Amino acid sequence: MTVLKAELLKRLSDGVVDMEEEAVIETCKEYVEAGYPALEGIMNGLVDGMNRASQLYEDEEYFVTDILLCSDAMYEGLAVLRPHLPSSEAEKIKPRGVIGVVEGDTHDIGKNLVKIMLETAGFEMFDLGRDVPLNSFVEKAREVSASFVCLSTLMTTTMPGMSTVVELLKEAGIREQVKVVIGGGPISKKFADTIGADGYSHNAVEAVKLVKSLLNIA
Amino acid sequence: MHKNDQMTPNERLAAFMTGSPMDRILAMPVVCSMSGMALGMTHKEKRSTALNEARAQAACYERFGNDLTITEYGLHGVGAALGSVLTDPEDAVPAIIKYALEDINNVNQLDMSRLELKNDKKFQLHLEATKILIDMVGKEAPTGVLISGPFTAAASIYRTENLLRATRKNPEKLHQLIKFCNEGLKMVYREFIKAGAVILLCDPIASGTILHRNQYLEFVLPYTIDLMKDIHEAKGMVCYHICGDTTSIVGDMVQSGCDMLSIDNRVDLEYTKKIAGSKVPILGNVDPVEIMYLGKPEDVDMAVKTCLQKAYDSPNGYIVASGCDLSGNIPLENIDQFMASVRKYGKWPLDPNNFL
Repeated sequence: MTVLKAELLKRLSDGVVDMEEEAVIETCKEYVEAGYPALEGIMNGLVDGMNRASQLYEDEEYFVTDILLCSDAMYEGLAVLRPHLPSSEAEKIKPRGVIGVVEGDTHDIGKNLVKIMLETAGFEMFDLGRDVPLNSFVEKAREVSASFVCLSTLMTTTMPGMSTVVELLKEAGIREQVKVVIGGGPISKKFADTIGADGYSHNAVEAVKLVKSLLNIA
Repeated sequence: MHKNDQMTPNERLAAFMTGSPMDRILAMPVVCSMSGMALGMTHKEKRSTALNEARAQAACYERFGNDLTITEYGLHGVGAALGSVLTDPEDAVPAIIKYALEDINNVNQLDMSRLELKNDKKFQLHLEATKILIDMVGKEAPTGVLISGPFTAAASIYRTENLLRATRKNPEKLHQLIKFCNEGLKMVYREFIKAGAVILLCDPIASGTILHRNQYLEFVLPYTIDLMKDIHEAKGMVCYHICGDTTSIVGDMVQSGCDMLSIDNRVDLEYTKKIAGSKVPILGNVDPVEIMYLGKPEDVDMAVKTCLQKAYDSPNGYIVASGCDLSGNIPLENIDQFMASVRKYGKWPLDPNNFL
């Protein structure tokens, strides 16, 4: 007997919240074999679970480690479901963002959390990694027609690099099209204002709200 | 001795420890990463030779009259000795780009002998810097050495994100890794204690911003207690610092057996006084970025005043300090102001009318 779709979706969502990678992979396979639509499995199963995890993070019930393990489960599930998306869905253009840790710094947990949350929220993220040459942010933003750029750093010495990226975007003539949001340990709203960034977020969940509000996405 | 002081930092610290009168309250802005600026040196010039590292500190002391000079073994020292690869920027703190340990299951392949003084050139350099500095200023001022705690040492060997995953998925190997770090650190600490330095044990990766309290209790505190015991057996003194928001673990940090506790600007000083003030002297917590790096001298003045308001009456004593290491292109005038404000508001005997 085929398991009801609703039950599988719940198991996917719960599997992400409970950080059960193996269970998520198995359930995804079962879901695909039953012939249910991959998109719904992603949105109402995996992403739903990740959204619940974000809420727990906001409520301070979940911490960084929990979010990492939840996202591991989600990404494992995505790897199973994505190949089954109809090409019309797979090729659908999502709002795009470029993200990375600025040159001189290699601390990337914060950046990775923000990327996870933004991908969960439906953005297509281009991750440049850590210790990213400042010009690469601009080149990538232009190449993929990004709507926003996320810059992260943990080190005071690399903070001025964020200001440079804002300037480089202006020089490239694309500052108007690209919102700049910044974050990381030493960063503040005041610093964001000083360098002319569009926003500052102190954590990954807030970053999603910030980007959505800057792009006028409900 | 600084022209505006009446006691040397050594005399002041001795008075502080014995509860005797002093000329002013102790002031320890963490002039570590930025110290080269006092001589117009870049960070790379500063860290390239033992003499430069010592001279930069001596120059800071001469200009500011700060109560603690600081050399560093650093936060990445353990990892670097074991083969982690660091960047080599001209004027910034190096960062790790490649980790010595890729798979935590290989933890038993780590070679402890690489951490020994005779095999680690960087260790030799920093120890030499400490000795030179103590020769230069030791008659007047104490020298501390900034060294990582066990969890941060582990994070210099093995990628932090995977370290966090291992707290759930491979706790046994993770314990093994941290224990390895602890044994290595004991060896390192003992050399610096022998040279006469105070240990400034910093464990930023154990921050409450990254770890849950339960993880701190399982993977950090027991090892830290063990370390503190060893430091004390070696007749060393230790100030314990964790960066970021440590509100949930301040009470636990004191259980480590540290001699002093230093908190970052994300923790309320008054709260710290309440939780830890009756057990150890506390240090903190002028915002190193917002105030010291981006602020103006009047912001610094106000911040020092606020710190005194909150903590001047901490039962075991209070030392005005920055919340964390001062890094980046800090306006030196802000550090001048930090000291001037401590001399103004913290003049002995402390009179709350001066700052309340």
